[in-house]
Amino acid sequence: MLEDGLLLLFMHTNMAEPMELLCWGGDWDLPSVHTDSLIVLAYAKFSGAALAVKSIDWTWRTITASVPQLHFEGSTVTEPTQILNFLRKQRFNADYELTAKQGADTMAYIALLEEKLRPALLHTFWVDAENYANLTRPWFTSHSPFPLNFFVPGRQASLALSRILLTKAESPLLNITEVEGKIYSEAKECLNLLSHRLGNFHFFFGDRPTSLDAFVFGHIAPLIKAPLPSGQLQKHLNQLDNLCQFCNTILKNYFTDASAEKRMDCSPTATHDPVDANLQKLTQLVNKESNLIEKMDDNLRSSPQHRPHRHDTKPSAPASENSTRA
Amino acid sequence: MSLAAEAFVSQIAAAEPWPEKATLYQPLKEDQILLSDSASSLAVQTFLRMCGLPVQVSCCANAEYMSPSGKVPFIHVGNQVVSELGPIVQFIKAKGHSLSDGLDDVQRAEMKAYMELVNNMLLTAELYIQWCDDYTATEISRPRYSSPYSWPLNHILAYQKQWEVRRKMNAIGWSGKSLEQVYEDVSQCCQALSQRLGTQPYFFNKQPTELDALVFGHLFTILTTQLTNDELAEKVKSYTNLLSFCHRIDQTYFKEDKGSRSV
Repeated sequence: MLEDGLLLLFMHTNMAEPMELLCWGGDWDLPSVHTDSLIVLAYAKFSGAALAVKSIDWTWRTITASVPQLHFEGSTVTEPTQILNFLRKQRFNADYELTAKQGADTMAYIALLEEKLRPALLHTFWVDAENYANLTRPWFTSHSPFPLNFFVPGRQASLALSRILLTKAESPLLNITEVEGKIYSEAKECLNLLSHRLGNFHFFFGDRPTSLDAFVFGHIAPLIKAPLPSGQLQKHLNQLDNLCQFCNTILKNYFTDASAEKRMDCSPTATHDPVDANLQKLTQLVNKESNLIEKMDDNLRSSPQHRPHRHDTKPSAPASENSTRA
Repeated sequence: MSLAAEAFVSQIAAAEPWPEKATLYQPLKEDQILLSDSASSLAVQTFLRMCGLPVQVSCCANAEYMSPSGKVPFIHVGNQVVSELGPIVQFIKAKGHSLSDGLDDVQRAEMKAYMELVNNMLLTAELYIQWCDDYTATEISRPRYSSPYSWPLNHILAYQKQWEVRRKMNAIGWSGKSLEQVYEDVSQCCQALSQRLGTQPYFFNKQPTELDALVFGHLFTILTTQLTNDELAEKVKSYTNLLSFCHRIDQTYFKEDKGSRSV
């Protein structure tokens, strides 16, 4: 929890507007594992909106809040499309250079993603037995407080299943196995279409990322990065090089700060890297003396200083690091 | 149907030419059919006319239950039954007729994206207005849907259908929307379509495709169906190029029925 507070403080030092975003936490090199949260985070980065990101992990909000949720001056906005509209009204617009036709194309492709790709994503993460048991449920259980960890994953899974069945299954046969083949083939086709549309460009409309890029990123990034035990859709996506490249470009250019800070924040049992252990030690030191926070911020933000620090500490014995890590 | 069965069926389909007596089934036109079903049916009919394939339209009260997927319209060709525009387009492609062969990959991606936009926004909005808006549901949808049946079956079926649609709206997150928001969504969808169409005769310049058939089906039905208020039609009418698009397709493909239709 102290690490959480530190994280917020680091992000607050450079912020002017107190817009607060509630979303699920990050893992697997991503700022968030939740598609809708990723869409909003990506758009905020593209449009230059400064958001105070507050993760709902380990709070009661895992069951009460509908994520993502934006708080600003007393008003609350949910749902990615609404949040993006709100940000545009606040003059954070990543789409102002688009022509009218490109704006129309954006709407069309977002509809394509929602209809064709989203059911298969929901299935891969929440309905497929192997993935759910080995990846999704443990992750969400470990990121929810007791006793909610018994309810949260199950509730999300049943919502996902009912959404797939109600929208895709033919009404006389409400059976998930009949629908599986159909939704995966539609999803693969959708990924192929996106790949054709992207071609060799960096982003979907030229050189600057727009809201469509945010939506596509939000949908495909978890699929690329999550360590899924059984992922036929993931295999298919990995064959589409330009989409993987697109995702990695966005992560590298817009999210490297966030992923570096998240690595500071993760639980001790997960880190076996001596570099992360060093960062953990450092954060504990800073907790004791608050005037070191400004110095830490400067050191970490300028990466050329950061790298030699890593190389210096790497050769040191991991055993001693582990023993000093309290 | 599993993917292997579908592939098998389409191979069989490819072997036979289009028969004389192909039939399209939809609910009763005057009394029973609702806005969304009428739009889907008109889209399929337009597509078949664009391909130059003759089909007889047959109106049955139980069309929905005859359909293999539970949705109308469906076509009965030879000894196969195919429902909904997407599978019908693929079926007809297997028979060697296609409207979108001339498109390259990027254009095909765009076409599919716009078709999903129409399905996602327009069709869902039509279903919402019919079944989730209490006034319309009570005055129009429930009486019409259950008109061929006697009491108490008419009440049971109507409420069952309403419950199903409301469940679906709940699952996709539309149940929290107000009617004004739905009209606003329709307006945005029409704006996107209007901007994409521009001044061209069809969405992909000179040749009509299944996207044109789908858009025509929905827009024409919205313009010509009498609901409790005219707000939906007004939203569409504010885009003049869409109006002339509908008029043009009506003139080109439905001219023999010209006497019975008017925009």
